[in-house]
Amino acid sequence: MHIWLLSDYDHRKHLAFKSLLGRFSAAYPDVKADFSVKSRRSLWESLFAHLRDPKRNPLADVIELPQNWTELFSRLGMLSDLMPNLEALSQRRYPEFIFKELLRHDEARAYSAPWWLEAPALFCRPQALKGAVEDPARELASWDGFRAALDRVKPPSRRGNFRALAVPGSAGCVSVSDVLPRVWGRRGGLFSDDFNRATFNREETAGGVEDWLELAVSGKIELFSADRFENGPQPAEDCAFMISSRKLPGAGRAGLKMLPYPGYPSGGGLMLVYNLAVSSASQEHGAAAAFVAWLMEPRNAGYFAESFGVFPCLKPVFEERLKEEREAEAYRRLFSAPELMPNIMVYPTAELLLERALWNLSLKIARHDYEREDLMRELIMAQGEADYLLSLY
Amino acid sequence: MKKSVKTIFDPEAGRSFYEGRGAFMKAALEAVAERFALDGAAFYEYDEKNGLLRLNLRHAAGVTFENEESLRPAPGSAAARAIETLEPAAGKTPAGSALYSPFRFDYCDPAGGRGVIPCFGLFRLERSLRKRAFTKAEALKADAFLRSFLRDYYKAEFFSLNRKYEKNVAAITELTEVFATALRVRDSFKHILSGIQTYFGFDRVRLYLIDEGNRKLKGELSADIRGQIKSIAYEEIPLEPGAHRFADIVLGRSSGAFMERYKDCVLYMPLAVQGVTIGLLIVDNLLSQQRIEPQELAMLKSFGGQIALAVDNARLFDKVEELSLYDELTKLPLRRYFNQRFQEEFYRAERFKQPLAVVWADIDFFKEVNDTYGHQIGDKVLREAGRVILSNLRKIDFPCRYGGDEIIILLPQATGEEARRLAQRLSSELSELRIPVPFSKTRELRVTLSIGVSTFPQDASTMDALLEKADDALYWVKSHGRGNIALYSEVADQKKTEAAGGKNVNS
Repeated sequence: MHIWLLSDYDHRKHLAFKSLLGRFSAAYPDVKADFSVKSRRSLWESLFAHLRDPKRNPLADVIELPQNWTELFSRLGMLSDLMPNLEALSQRRYPEFIFKELLRHDEARAYSAPWWLEAPALFCRPQALKGAVEDPARELASWDGFRAALDRVKPPSRRGNFRALAVPGSAGCVSVSDVLPRVWGRRGGLFSDDFNRATFNREETAGGVEDWLELAVSGKIELFSADRFENGPQPAEDCAFMISSRKLPGAGRAGLKMLPYPGYPSGGGLMLVYNLAVSSASQEHGAAAAFVAWLMEPRNAGYFAESFGVFPCLKPVFEERLKEEREAEAYRRLFSAPELMPNIMVYPTAELLLERALWNLSLKIARHDYEREDLMRELIMAQGEADYLLSLY
Repeated sequence: MKKSVKTIFDPEAGRSFYEGRGAFMKAALEAVAERFALDGAAFYEYDEKNGLLRLNLRHAAGVTFENEESLRPAPGSAAARAIETLEPAAGKTPAGSALYSPFRFDYCDPAGGRGVIPCFGLFRLERSLRKRAFTKAEALKADAFLRSFLRDYYKAEFFSLNRKYEKNVAAITELTEVFATALRVRDSFKHILSGIQTYFGFDRVRLYLIDEGNRKLKGELSADIRGQIKSIAYEEIPLEPGAHRFADIVLGRSSGAFMERYKDCVLYMPLAVQGVTIGLLIVDNLLSQQRIEPQELAMLKSFGGQIALAVDNARLFDKVEELSLYDELTKLPLRRYFNQRFQEEFYRAERFKQPLAVVWADIDFFKEVNDTYGHQIGDKVLREAGRVILSNLRKIDFPCRYGGDEIIILLPQATGEEARRLAQRLSSELSELRIPVPFSKTRELRVTLSIGVSTFPQDASTMDALLEKADDALYWVKSHGRGNIALYSEVADQKKTEAAGGKNVNS
């Protein structure tokens, strides 16, 4: 049995999975299981390569994938229905907001099982905000408040490598995962509510993208950072703010305080959910489904999620973790009105279109020849392509 | 299974077990990490144009993982020096020490392209503070180890590209055969699209043909990445400038900017035979957003002429077949086709014990129409009759121009009463038509139908008998004033009554 795990900037995820797999192999020595860690792009390419030439490009038996890829790849016939094999699914042991999106098109079938989720949030170091922010919870609730605070924060004189804002999960350029929480915060999205047309250049969406790009244009975040290449991610104590969807290790020691993502005054926000699927081409379907069921056992799901600072999707463990959480109050606000990316067929491709636009814009910003028209042109082009896709699928 | 360099490539044996760049680099990272007691190793590709290092693969704590991160080496740093000089360079990091081992090689495009495929990148080998930094000797040794590995990689990649080239040559031969056989197979267009999908595997292939008569571009078929083929006959695009981008492409008016935007994942290929455009073939990777390789594009373009010819031949073949099976005037199938379908429908009705009705219609006074107004008007009457019939039938019904002005319609799963209702509809619609006759006094002509209906199994149990009974019913109508409809069962009853009446009179 082979497993494809999605890569993560936090290596602890891969190590936790390796350790889980070791436990599984010890408990079930008859099942030979190994795994490889694939980047999002490489996973996407591997899935399509299988469609093009299944013999030369076999699928893994178990695949981790973003929840909103489920509809696309199930429609392409690559995933098997897990509802009959997984008690957690048939007994609906997941929060309703996750289930609703997973079963958007068919209440009776689930082609993947929710595994873990993360919620983008703002972390700040009150010590570094002295003189810049009086009441973080209030002043940093809005994007404008957060943006103004970024300008007011001054580096302490003894720290040469200080940055007002760090984004540990950044891929170097501005990416979809960076901008979408802000787009959602502005009540924007990539498609209209009825999914009949793309809305990339609608004011709310374009504005959300622009808000994030402005951070790069103004130098608040550094694109393609040389410092990151040489020294790795910015240590928490060298910045005033961090935007991260993970519980940060040693946040308490570093004096970090967690707040909801700025721009969601009433709470709530965009959640990113990752699921496990069993490939329909698997020769070991039973073992693969049993492995997924084993991973979903509360002890295993809890251990895995905790190891790299995310939440398990399984409802009882999710609620238990929320109760034990140091920043329970902030998380409760985040989970008060959670929103997921739509699980529709063309959504993953639309994200790729936006990703390409953001890459082009990132290069322009890094070269200092970015203008607002560039953003509008890229978004109009991407929207045209997404609309065309909608007409085809 | 953990793979070492040796298991992946064995140059002495002249065999390679190349499974792609990912597997090879993974093995390289694992081997170098083990041999030089590293805490981490990473493989970066260098994007010369933008001066960025793209993290591709990383190995740490016994796990190798892909990753995506694009970063810039600091000017003057060890990494920047390594890239500039193509020599290994060591440096210090907050976590310990790092050794950068660069590589660069170009290889010729085996597909015959004039350019070279560059391969430029960097390995980063890391040791934590607990371990000693890289000595100069160690750095040279590690660099030499990786370079020998890359030489193997170069060979493996070259063999792989060569295999790809051989595969393409095989595909050319087989595709030529596919296009050549398109004429002989029943579903020619399907055959052509399947052939393209089998060898190229695009997200979607669509075929549109020009309907010259109506100045339209009409959808024919679409094949998806899973090889499933469906009709796109519902797509009709007016062939006018600006009406649709497909129309613009066919008319040679599409904008360069538009084509530039889509060139990586869509190919619009107008199909032309002897300089005349007959359709448009569109292949795309829009869903996956994956680039169509330039050699694939070149190959498909080189097939353009053959595809166009195959499509045109298939279309001509269909046309010839249509002419031999369908009546040009009424667009109704001819008697030859009817006989074949009648047999099939009759067997089906018998086997599944379902009713089958035969409607036999005759245009009243058709000979007189021809004699009085000429054959042109007679043809117009027949054309209108054909149109009315075709627009009123279900998909499973089968009409036929049986000869002259006689039309037979097979109505599977229809009872006599259902057949009568259809006959009434046809009769009334046709009688409402006013066919203009410019040179006559009345200036217009109205026609009526005489119709006889028989049904299986009620009226007859064989095909011949069923036709005969419908003809009997039709004859009855014609001999009783025309312009009416009769079911054979009623005619038979009527005949019995008349016969009984005659007997009574005689007696």
